[in-house]
This record gives sequence, C-alpha cells and structure tokens, in this order.
Amino acid sequence: MSEGLNYKFLVDTFFIALSGVPITLFITVVALLFALPLGFLLALTRINRIPVLHRFAQVYVSFVRGTPIIIQIFIVYSSVPLLLSSLFTKFNIGMNVYDVNPIWYAFIVFSFNTTAVLIEVFRSALSTVNRGQLEAAQSVGLTDVQAYRRIIIPQALVVAMPNICTATVNLIKATSLGYAMSLQEITLKAKVAANVGYNYVEAYIDIFLVYLLLCSAVEYAFKLYEKRLSKYKPSVV
Amino acid sequence: MLEIKDVYKSFGKTEILKGVDVTIDKGDVVVILGPSGSGKTTLLRCINFLEKADQGRAVFGDIDVNLGTATKKQIHQIRQKIAFVFQSNNLFNNKTALENVTEGLVIGRKVPKEEAVKIGKKALDKVGLTDKYDAYPSELSGGQQQRVGIARAVALNPDIILFDEPTSALDPELVGEVLTVMKNIAREGTTMLVVTHEMDFAKDVANKVIFMDGGVIVEEGTPHEIFVNPKEERTQKFLKRVLPEDFTYHI
Amino acid sequence: MEKYFDASYIWESIPLLIPFLKMTFMVAGLSVLFGTLLGFILTVAKTGKSKFARKLATGYTTIIRCTPSIVLLFLVYYGLPAIGDRFGLNLNNIDTAVFVIITFTLQFAAAMSEVMRSAFQSIDNGQFEAAVSVGLSNSQAYRRIVFPQAFVVALPNFGNSLLAVLQEGSLAYTIGLIDVVGKANLIIAGNYNAHALEIFLALAIIYWILSIAIEQFFLKLEQVFSKGKQGLKTA
Ligand SMILES: Nc1ncnc2c1ncn2[C@@H]1O[C@H](COP(=O)(O)OP(=O)(O)O)[C@@H](O)[C@H]1O
Ligand SMILES: [Mg+2]
Repeated sequence: MSEGLNYKFLVDTFFIALSGVPITLFITVVALLFALPLGFLLALTRINRIPVLHRFAQVYVSFVRGTPIIIQIFIVYSSVPLLLSSLFTKFNIGMNVYDVNPIWYAFIVFSFNTTAVLIEVFRSALSTVNRGQLEAAQSVGLTDVQAYRRIIIPQALVVAMPNICTATVNLIKATSLGYAMSLQEITLKAKVAANVGYNYVEAYIDIFLVYLLLCSAVEYAFKLYEKRLSKYKPSVV
Repeated sequence: MLEIKDVYKSFGKTEILKGVDVTIDKGDVVVILGPSGSGKTTLLRCINFLEKADQGRAVFGDIDVNLGTATKKQIHQIRQKIAFVFQSNNLFNNKTALENVTEGLVIGRKVPKEEAVKIGKKALDKVGLTDKYDAYPSELSGGQQQRVGIARAVALNPDIILFDEPTSALDPELVGEVLTVMKNIAREGTTMLVVTHEMDFAKDVANKVIFMDGGVIVEEGTPHEIFVNPKEERTQKFLKRVLPEDFTYHI
Repeated sequence: MEKYFDASYIWESIPLLIPFLKMTFMVAGLSVLFGTLLGFILTVAKTGKSKFARKLATGYTTIIRCTPSIVLLFLVYYGLPAIGDRFGLNLNNIDTAVFVIITFTLQFAAAMSEVMRSAFQSIDNGQFEAAVSVGLSNSQAYRRIVFPQAFVVALPNFGNSLLAVLQEGSLAYTIGLIDVVGKANLIIAGNYNAHALEIFLALAIIYWILSIAIEQFFLKLEQVFSKGKQGLKTA
C-alpha cells in the first residue's frame, strides 16, 4: 500500500542534491571558458573558409550534433584511460589510471561537446551581422582585427546571446550524465542517498527542483545581461 | 448603396474614430484624404470587420448591421459584397497568382473550380498579368503583386472595393502601373472607396473627395470643391502641404 | 583481462546492434507522434485568449526546459507507479517502453509547442485578414492560408527536435529498455567489459549516420515545401 512521500527524506536530500551544485557549476564554467574562445575561432574558420580547418570544424560539429552526449561520455571514459595507462607504462609513471579524478573526464567531454555547439551558435550569429558593417569599418580605416573586435563581435554577441544561454542551460542539464563517470554531482549525490531506503521518488523530486532552480536562475541572469546588451541591436527602419 | 453611420473606435484610451459617416452610391469613386494617423485605415478596417468598431452601422441595401456587434453570418454577408485591397497587398504567399485570385471564389463562395479559374484568368488579364498566372508572390515585383491584389478583389465581383493606400508601399516607378489599373476598373463603373495620397488620381478619377483629420470628417465634396475651394482651414493647410507646386485643376 | 583496441569489434558489433534500432525508432516515433499532438494543444493554449491557459502552458514549457532528460525519465519511471499506487492502480508491471514514451512525449510536446508557436506567430496577420476579406471563414483561413505557411517555417525546427528526441532517447537504457544502446551494453557485459570502446564507437557511428540521413531528409523536404515562400528563383 502507498505510504506517501517521506517528507523528512525529501527535505534532507534536497540539501544533499544542493551540495552537488558547486561541482556542476565548476564543470559548466570550465567548459564554457574553454569552448567560448575555441568555438568562436573555429566559427571564424567556417565563415572564412580557411582550408583544412573549416573542414575539420564541419566534421567535428557534425559528429557532436549527430551523436548522443551519453555516447560521447562512454567513448571518452573508455578511451582516455586506455591512452593514459599506455602512456603511464611507457614513461614509467607510477600512477594508476583509476586514481584520476573523474572531473577531468567531465572537463574533456563537456568542453568537447560545448565547443561544437558554440561553433554553430557563433557561425550563425556572425553571418547575420551585415557584410556592410565590416566594409564600413574598413572604410573608416580600421584594420580587420580592429573591425572584428570593435564592430563585428559586439554585434554578433548580442545575436548569439540567447543561443549561448540555451547552450549553457543544456550544458548544466548534461552534467546530470556525470553519473556515467562517477562524478559526484547533483544527480548522483541524491541517488546515492536514495539507495539506502529506496526513496527514489523523493530523490528525483529533489534533483528536479535543484535543476529547476539552477536553470531558471541562469536563464534569468542571461535575460538581465541581454537587456544591457540590446543597445547594440541593429536599428529597424 | 452603402451608408456608414456614426462609427466610433478607440484603441485603449485613445479615440481614433469619433463619429464618421460615409455615403457611397453605386458607381461612385470616393477618395479619402488625410494626414497619416487620422484614422483612414481604421475606418476601412472597421467597414470590413477586420477591426471591431465600438459603435456604428453599415446599411447596405436591405442589410443593416451594427459594426460593433455583427454576428458571424452578418459579417460574412457584408464581406461577400465588399472586397479589400491592402496597402501591403497581403497576397497568400503559399499560392500562385491565379490561386490567390480563385481562393475566395472556390472556398469562400463555392464557385466550381473550373469556372473560378476562368474568372480568375480574366481578372488577371484585366490587370495585365496574363503571363504570370503560375508565379508565386515572391516571384513578382511589388507593382505586379499589388495588381494581383486588385485582381483578387475584382474577381469576387463585389459591390464595392476598398483600397487602403494601394501604392504607398511601392517604389515610385511602379506606382503608375497600379494607378492605371485602378483607373481602368473605375472607368468600368466599379464602386470604389480609396484611401490614397495620389492627388492626381483623386482629381481625375474621383467623383467625391473626403478629407479626414483627427478621427472626424472635416470636409467633403466634389474634387473641384475640395481642391479649388476648400472651405475649412484644416483642409487648406493640408492641401498646401501635400499638393505639388505644379498641381493644377482643370475642369 | 587485457584491454587493447581492436577495430574489428566495431564492424562485428554493428550488425548485432542494427536490429535493435527497431525499438529505438518505435520509442522515438511514438514520442514524436504523441508529443506533436500534445504540443499542438499547448500551442493553442499559448496563442489563445485565456490568460490562465497561457500561463499554464508557458510554465510547463519552462519547467520541462529546465529538467534534464534523465531526471524526467526517472521521475516518470518511479513517480507514475507511485501515483498509480495512490489510486489503487498497479503500474509496476507496465512495459519499460511505456515510461520512455511518456517521458519523451512530455519533452517533445514542450519543444514542439515552442516550434509551432513561433512558426504560427511568424506568419503576418495580413495573411489571415486577406483570407477572411475574400470570404473564407476563420477556420478556412487558418487551414488553407496560415497553417500551410507556418508548417514550412516550423519544418527545420521540427527536424531538430526530432533529432534531439532520437538522441535523448539513448538514455532509455538506464531504466532497462533494450534499444540499440541497451543492446550495446548487453554485448559489453557479455564480453566481461572488454572492448567497450569499440562497441561505443559502433554506436556512435550508427547514430551519426542516422542523424545525417534525417538532417538531409529534412533539408530536401524543406526545399520541396518552400515553393512560393522564398522565391526559389527557378532559373
Ligand atoms: N491595432 C492598433 N492598436 C493601437 N493603436 C492603433 C492600432 N491601429 C491603429 N492605431 C492607431 O490609430 C491611429 C490611426 O491609425 P490609422 O487608421 O492607421 O491612420 P491612417 O491610416 O490614417 O494613417 C494611429 O495613431 C495609430 O497609431
Ligand atoms: Mg493607413
């Protein structure tokens, strides 16, 4: 028969889930710090059709968009240790691959994934900035680099911001797959707590609430920021 | 034939139409002039129920409807008699020129497809688009699009066609072709209510000119009365501003 | 147990995995079907007059957008039977696939409601007005003029959402669904966890090819349907 929710567990576990937030945010920030500049540079190679690099970027994006993140995680989590252990043996490093903190794998996977997402975001944002803007900048004597830094990028950023927000929220959500790498984030922490008394419903309600709070907060922060940026929007005649 | 009586319309707290009366007889070409924002578009939209008036009546032969509370059936009845040519043409983007013209006939009026196509082709021929039956709106110039818009209205064989600044969204070199088409259908005796800034059209084609400002009709009369001897100061000022230097009125 | 990389495991496992795509497709297909229906209802609520319905639909979309797939999946998997219990229903023996389909229906509906809403609102109101002005009824105007145009606008985003459901569906193995991913994990377990990498690569290849095929399909579809929308200047 039904016993209803275990409210004490619900409350206690909420805080356990909450204690996973810092690590989730840490991974998110690291992945973004890595992916924002790299994604932007690779987007430039796509737009300007830099030989080899733009092909590489194209295939890379296609792969990441074409495969589930969980499988990307599986691949990294089963290939990197193989590589490492052969390296360790080769250079006689007395370290066990199983001692490597899983957060390193998380950095790799989520940076790898987010970079590809941001390539597309920046590519479409850059292509919406009018070609005339670059020409106008050049006509008043700016170098290409100056034109990009002072004219193109600020405008592209405004266009890209909603998509960067979506990418960030998706990234935060994707860290919930960290369980596959034994990462001690929100989901795994709460789930482990639930294992004792089979309080899975309560645990997942807590996890759900934590993500809801976290993602709403991030969306709200982006909205505020977008408002401040919106003065760069192209004027509508 | 059509009497519009005492139309009031507000958007929120702003009163846009403050008691407008218009009478149109069969074969009339009535031109409405007036500064932008004076409520001309709103008036036409109320007549066609695209906007719900707060108050007002439309008397059309033996049909007498309240512009604010008309039933679906009444709205349908009136719309059968009145066609609308939009400023931005509003051609159906997913239909060819011919389909644009036949849509209202086949679907709205249950005219057999074959007959509708015949009527549609004739209407397109009339506006000089014989070679564009199968073109999509995106494949037509602005002037051609607006001519399809006119053909779409003409094909319905309405009692009245309402035109809302049909040339003001066009490049100057395309205005002429549309005005020519409008003149032609006026000459055939079509009853028209036209909002326009084309003074030459008003002078040459209209038999009645209405000057609207601030949601009321300031003055109305024959083109001669309005252009040569405007009574009201507001009319005089407006005409002075909009009439070209070389505008002359010949009788 | 030795671990080394052997590419032949990739090619040998692909034929073993392919038959299980049937389950993957079925789950994704039904989620898309039900999700589109529910999404349509949400769109009606979002664009309708009732403020309450609008708030409800928007709130639902926000909540789903903020919930990771795996969390939603487990909420449904543990939560539904618990709720059923309350009402004296035993939902514990329902097929796993049902929970998966419910989860991704909920998710797809939220995505689709945004896709359909923005497509619907992107169609200029003048199209509707012109339609009623030539004598079409409101519902005829929507059916014949507005919806066909909105459909073309929605198509690319519908394709993207469909790809997303296919990919997020890969998480269904966590509640025991034997789709391609589930089968892959079975194969790996059968190998005593050796050669996992090769099997995962095989999975990646399958998903990658599928995604490219679906993407291309939608590009073609878009071309077919966008006649008249953008002057596909047929030179
Ligand atoms: N849907 C609307 N909501 C609010 N205000 C409107 C709306 N439509 C028109 N208006 C206002 O009504 C006034 C008259 O508009 P309109 O009838 O278009 O004038 P005209 O066609 O003479 O230029 C304008 O000030 C306009 O801003
Ligand atoms: Mg107007």
